[in-house]
Parts: sequence; structure tokens; C-alpha cells
Amino acid sequence: MTNTPLLEVRGLCVEGRSQSKYGAASAEALILKDINLRVETNQVLGIIGESGAGKTVLARALAGWLPPSLQIQAGKVLYKGADMAAGAIDPLAALRGSEIGYIGADPTRALDPTLPIGAQIAEKLRAVRPGMGSAEAREKVLSLLASVRIPAPAKRYNEYPFQFSGGMMQRVMIADALISEPSLLIADNITQPLDVTVAAQILRLLRELVDSFGTSVVFVSASLPVCSQVANNLVVLQAGRVIEQGKPQKIATDPVEPYTRELLLKIPEIWTTGASEIARSTPAVNLGDPILKVQNVSKLYRVRDRTAFNRVHDVQAVRNITFSVSRGESIGIVGESGCGKSTLTRLLTLLERPDTGTIEFDGQDLGSLTASELRALRPQFQLLLQDPYNALPSGRTIGEIISEPLAIHKIARGNDVRERVLSVMNEVGLPASQIDALPVSMSAGQRQRINIARALVLQPKLMVLDETLSSLDQVEQSKLIALFERLHQQHGLTYIYISHDLAMVRRVCTRVAVMYLGEIVELSPNEMLFRNPGHPYSKALLSAIPTLETHPFDVGQCLLDGEPPSPIDLPVGCSFANRCPSAQDRCKRSAPEAFPRGDQAFSRCFLNESKREMAQ
Amino acid sequence: MSNTMTTPIGKLYGPSLPAPDARRYSSVPRRILNRAWTSWEFRIGVAFLMGVLALTVLYPAFSDIDPGKAAVSMRFKPPIPFEGSNWAHPLGTDQLGRDTLVRSLIGLRYSLMIGIGTVVLMFIVGCALGLVAGFRGGRLGSIIMRLADAQLSIPMIILAITVLGVSRPTIPAIVLVLALSGWPLYARVARSAALAESKREAVRGARILGASDWRIMLLMVAPAVLPPIAFVSVLDIARMMIFEATLGFLGLGVQPPTPSFGNIIADGRKYLINAWWIATMPGAFLLISLTSINLIGSALERARNAVLKGN
Repeated sequence: MTNTPLLEVRGLCVEGRSQSKYGAASAEALILKDINLRVETNQVLGIIGESGAGKTVLARALAGWLPPSLQIQAGKVLYKGADMAAGAIDPLAALRGSEIGYIGADPTRALDPTLPIGAQIAEKLRAVRPGMGSAEAREKVLSLLASVRIPAPAKRYNEYPFQFSGGMMQRVMIADALISEPSLLIADNITQPLDVTVAAQILRLLRELVDSFGTSVVFVSASLPVCSQVANNLVVLQAGRVIEQGKPQKIATDPVEPYTRELLLKIPEIWTTGASEIARSTPAVNLGDPILKVQNVSKLYRVRDRTAFNRVHDVQAVRNITFSVSRGESIGIVGESGCGKSTLTRLLTLLERPDTGTIEFDGQDLGSLTASELRALRPQFQLLLQDPYNALPSGRTIGEIISEPLAIHKIARGNDVRERVLSVMNEVGLPASQIDALPVSMSAGQRQRINIARALVLQPKLMVLDETLSSLDQVEQSKLIALFERLHQQHGLTYIYISHDLAMVRRVCTRVAVMYLGEIVELSPNEMLFRNPGHPYSKALLSAIPTLETHPFDVGQCLLDGEPPSPIDLPVGCSFANRCPSAQDRCKRSAPEAFPRGDQAFSRCFLNESKREMAQ
Repeated sequence: MSNTMTTPIGKLYGPSLPAPDARRYSSVPRRILNRAWTSWEFRIGVAFLMGVLALTVLYPAFSDIDPGKAAVSMRFKPPIPFEGSNWAHPLGTDQLGRDTLVRSLIGLRYSLMIGIGTVVLMFIVGCALGLVAGFRGGRLGSIIMRLADAQLSIPMIILAITVLGVSRPTIPAIVLVLALSGWPLYARVARSAALAESKREAVRGARILGASDWRIMLLMVAPAVLPPIAFVSVLDIARMMIFEATLGFLGLGVQPPTPSFGNIIADGRKYLINAWWIATMPGAFLLISLTSINLIGSALERARNAVLKGN
């Protein structure tokens, strides 16, 4: 027993009481059971656990901020040796904010939307440090905004929350929590809503701040790889109990508990797995036989400028997309939010027509078809939507939902309909007894199967999967991937996976296209992209994937600063140049064309041009 | 073709597992009705509504009392339990000695006809235009909504005085005038609901399956948009009956001697202190029929939620 730790939790039990409608307290359940923790000064404690494990309740208990429906039943939370729950620290409110900071998962709703962010942070600072002048507070806020790397802090000080992106907003929240120089910062799942590269930036920033401010951090996350990147110590939470504690390296390599081992198994592996396991047992894909040919497709949206009376902005959502998909191939399109993936999806499925360029499906130019000709062709290319809860029409039985396409295209009638529906349900693994049931109370995975069956009943040749799997958990995802694989082998389906999840793409795709700011910056075969990417942006994406493997791409070297420029005024030259670690002068002057790398791949980066010249 | 090697989808496994018999399958609306029938509310509502309707149709036809026949000697007879009443006029008589029961039932007949007719007309016209405006939008949508705005700017009473004052106030004319001033409300509600509905993922999904705009609008958007409006429109039946009574007050409603709630109540108002039953009895019938319609409506809505949301 040495000195008192900054924060200590002894035998903490938290119980939840749900008040029933008639006032009597009913259903009391222990949410946290016998938690023991220590947070030392200048350390990061990681808490991981699946959803429902009690992570957020624990985080709020540590801040002395439990909602009224929860109550500490036994145990103590000691902050610098004083019990927070027992009222030894009084008033508790003075401690929160000034000594304990809290950052939540949803940064977009944490601040008042009607006030500039700078004013809100300054207000908080002056509340916890009475006597501080407003000019001094402004100075401090500005310097902190700069140190969480918000560009042009003096300008952004006066901007409102809606003007910030998710990643920038999370920085603002970190600044807001750090402004009073707390000794303890509780970060509850702060990277969850962010894109991988942004999340990686935030993690790096947090680590640096711990070092420079001497703050201790409790970092709560659902992801072990994310947690192990920042934490000095790790706690595994399962169903309200701490089941394992230790150094992250030890937990990652040599876990004691079977549950932790199970958690580890669910983490996707990207580089460790040999290529042979991933390479699909497909009949060799003939790359000369394209089913879909996309040439120079661009789409421009006109958005009214709200600050001016009569001006419109041109948003270049998708620029100069050219690629082709071969019969039987699985191609992945990856990119972060705002890169134009959804627009491209709408164009590929002809929900919208491109402004320029052509899309050819099976040799037919889709742009030249009339609306009814296009409808007649639709059965052949189907899109699976992301959200299985909203994608299905409500108030119909499963049989009615699946048979709808047959009625639309007048493919079958009478008894034949039911037979076809049943055989498709059989195909996707829905029990035949469900045919007259409503999709009420079905899991997301089962609903997604209905969605798949509805597309399959048309016997499509090409399926576009728009984040189809991202709302499902790992187990359900694996099952559906196996289903797609089987459908591919038995029926020769071609897939386009559109996703932000690189680990998933690594498992299923033969080739992968990386999008940045409306452009495909690189298109490479799976193995080539993950081992030897041809574009600095691909490298940055890869370096940001949270895994426990030894990363071939070092975060320190590859990771980006800042954010993509606005698609409203695109920079001259390469659109990636302002963030690229290896940008040269010419990148800012002229845009690189698509330089081929081998016969199947290309990259829009001058680095590849020089390689080619050197080879010659 | 490289597809020759592959099996068509669904043909691989041959006959699938045994499924429920298609003949025992009942459609979703049927399930909702069955479910609703299990609740007392629904049964009571149906029983009372049927009872009142049967009474309005059968009693005046089978009784030998003439609703228009005045008998000065029989004036102001009170209803049954009160002193001076007799079984010839179970609900009493009015200021001219006419039978309150028969007149109320016939009045209810006309009032219901006007109320229900108006609401059905408003519902059909308003919702159809609103659906098109919300789903298609664009110039057509704007034209429809500006028409609705124009209509809303003309007060109902002024419209009624102009139209019914110039032409004769027949029942179809009254229904038309009331519906004309009421449809914009339906169009607006239907438009905003259709607008929200047409942005849903499911609509995108249907487009991708190749469904035409008409199909999506009629088979997907309309079934989601119309039921809530239909439930509310039941309340509008009463409102329309009261509007008819208002018109009757102004002498623009159903013309005497044909009894309607409007003119019965307008007459009975003068005798409210001494002969309360003249104005009250038609109100009681109105209350019973509207309460039972509401009971049926709320039971149906609850059954719909139970079937569709599984609770």
C-alpha cells in the first residue's frame, strides 16, 4: 500500500430500479456487481465490454453522475481518498467539470446549438474558476482549441456546433473537458461514431494530451484494439462484472478468461491471415467479360447558398468515376463518410442519372433507356439497403414482401408465386413456416435475409450491397457473408460491396476501389491493396484500422491531419495534396491521372508515375 | 455465356420444407378485424351502431306515425317516465304535436347522410390530391397546394350563403358545399404524411425492385398515410353534422318539413326551458351513434398496432 491513487473503486454495486406505472418500485436489477478499480495519476485506464455490459453506467458512476433511476447499493468511489457517494465531497458539482471531465459518445448533441462553441467553453471555464475575466478566458480557450488541433481557432471560436464535422466536434468536446485542467478525464466511447482515420487522430491526440497535461483518463470503448492503443491498463467488463484486468499486451496475447478469448476471436484479422484463406474458391474470374462498365461518370448537385440571396453552390459529389466489374467478381468500394459512396450507389442502380459519363450493364447503355425499358431491366441488378428495419414495407407478411417483385414484373401468378417464394426463403435460410408471419420482432439479421430473398426472387445477375452488413453484429455478419459466398458459387452472382469497413472488404472482395472526395483514388486487387497500396490515402486508411496485429503501416507515418476539403470548392491539382505526407509541388498544380499498376490496378498519384519511369 | 454453368436461384434445393397451407392463410386486414373482434369496445360499438342504424331505417317505415302531421291537442307531451306522457309518443312531442322519436330518427338519417357523405367526399378528394402533391411534388404539387390555400381563404359560411342562396339547398348541394370548404385540410395532412413516407428507405427499395410510381403511391404510400387520417375523419362526421345544423339555423340547411338535426334543434331551442326533450332527443341519438363509431375506430387502431407491431 503506497500513496492513495487518484481514483479508487471498492466493491461498487449499482442497482437499477424501474418504476412501474403505478408508483411501486419494481424490478430491481444489479447493473454493476462488485467493481474494484484503481486509476493512478497520469495513466490511461481502458474499460472494454460489449454493449449492455454496463460500461456507460460505470463511467457515470465514476463521475458521480448516475441518473436518478440508478443507485449505488454498496461499495465506494474514492476520489483522492474521499468518497464521492457518501457526500464526503461537498458540493459534488464543484468537483465535476473542474476536476473530473466527462466526454460522451455523441458530440453533436452535447453542446447548445444556439451558441458559438467558444462562448460555451469560456462560460464553463468562468463557472468553475470564479473571478476569471472574460478576455483571459477567451485566451485560454483559444490556446486549448489550438492544442487539440482545430485549425484557425480564432475563426472557429465564433462558429456554431452545426458548422463542425463529427471529428472536429469531438475535439471541441475534448477541449471543453480539458479547459479546467481536470485531473481525471472520463471518455465514454468517444471514437464510436467517427470514421477510422478520424478516430485514429483523436486517439493520438488523447495520448499526447495525457502526456502534456498530466491528466489521467478512463477510456471506455467497445473495441479492444482501440482501447489497447491508448491504455496503460485494461479492464474487461462482462455483464456488470470485472472479469479480467491487466496490461493491454498481456490481455491481447494471453487472456485468462474464456470470455476475453472469445472477444479476441471476434476481432477481424487483416494481415495475419494468409492470402490463401481469403482468396475465394471461385471459378477463375474472366476479367475480360465485364457485366458493368462505368465510364467517366460525374454527378453534380446544386445546393442553395443560405448565406446569400441568390447564389447556388455546385457540390461535386462524384467525379470522373471509371471502372468495370467482371462477371462473377466481388468488387469493394471503400471510403469515409462524405466521399461520395452513397451518390455512387444511387448512380450505379440508376436511381439517379449521372450528369456526364455512361454506365453500361451487360452491354446496354443504361442512360439511353426510357423509364419503362429501365424498369424491365431492373430485375437484373439489385441493391440491398443498409437498414433492414426501414427497408421493408410495413404491414405485410413475409410472403407478401418477397412476392412483391414477382407481381411488379408479372413474372409469376397463382400457385407458382408461393412456390417461388418458398424456394427463395429456403435458399436464404428462412424457415418456410414463417411465410405468413409478419416481420415483427425478427432480428436485424433475419430481416436482412428477407431483404435478400426479395432481391433474389428476381434472379439478379448483379447485387449492389450498400453497407448491407454494417448494422449487424460479427456473428450475423459472418453467416451472411457465407450465404453470399454460396450464392456466388452456385448462381454466379456478381457483387459490389460498398462499405466503410475495410476488415469486411478484406474478407470478401477480389478487388477494392478506394474513394476520396468523389474520386476513385486507387483500384487494386485485394492482396495488393492491403500489402502494397499505391496511394497515400489508402495507406492512411489502412494504418487507421484498429487491429491487434502488428501494423505494416505505422500510424505515425501514414496518418493524416485535418479533414478533406469541401466538395464545393475543390483545390486545384490533386485533391488529396493538402493532407498528403508525400505531397510535392506539382501535386498542387496539376491533378494526377490514373496511372496503371499492373494490368488490373491503377492509382491516381504521381508516385506511381515515377515508379513506372524508373522501371522503364 | 458464362452463366450456363450456374443453377437458377431457388431451383437448387428442389421442393422446400413443408409450409403452412395457403388456404388457411388470412390476409393482414383480416387478422386486424379478427383481433379487433376480441375486444369488448369493438363489439359494443358495432352493436350500438347497428342498433341505431336499424332503428332509423326500420322504425319510421313500420310505425304508422306521420312525422309531418301536426296535432295541436298533442303539443308538448313529455317523454315516457314523465307525467302526462303516453305510449303513442314514447319520446314526447314537439310544439306542433309531432312525434319526437320519429322525427329524431328521420333527422338522424339525413344528418348522418350529410355527415358521412361529406367526410367520404372530402377524404377521397383531399387525400388523393394530397398524396399526389406529396409524392410527386414539383410543379403539380405546388399547383394543388396553392389551390388548397385559395380554398382555405374563403370562409365556409360565405361560400354556403353564396352557393346555397343562389341554388336550392338540396342535400347533394349541402354535401358539395361542405366538402368543398373542407378538402384542403385533408390535402394538407395527406401531403405532409406522403412527403415523409416517400423519403423512406422502403420506397427506395421498391424503386430498385422496379415498381412504378403509381404502384408505390397506391400500394405503399397510401396504406401508410391513409389509416391515421381515416381515424381522425370519424370525428369530422360530427363536425359536419354540426355545420349542417349551423346552415339550418341560417335557413340554408335541409328545408322543413323534412326534419334534420339542424332544423329540429333550431326549433326546439325556443322551448328549451319548458320542453327540453325537443332539442335533446336528437342529440342523444347523435351521441350514441358517434360514440359507437369512435369505439370501433379506437379498437381498430389498437388491433392494427397489435398485429403490425406485435405487442
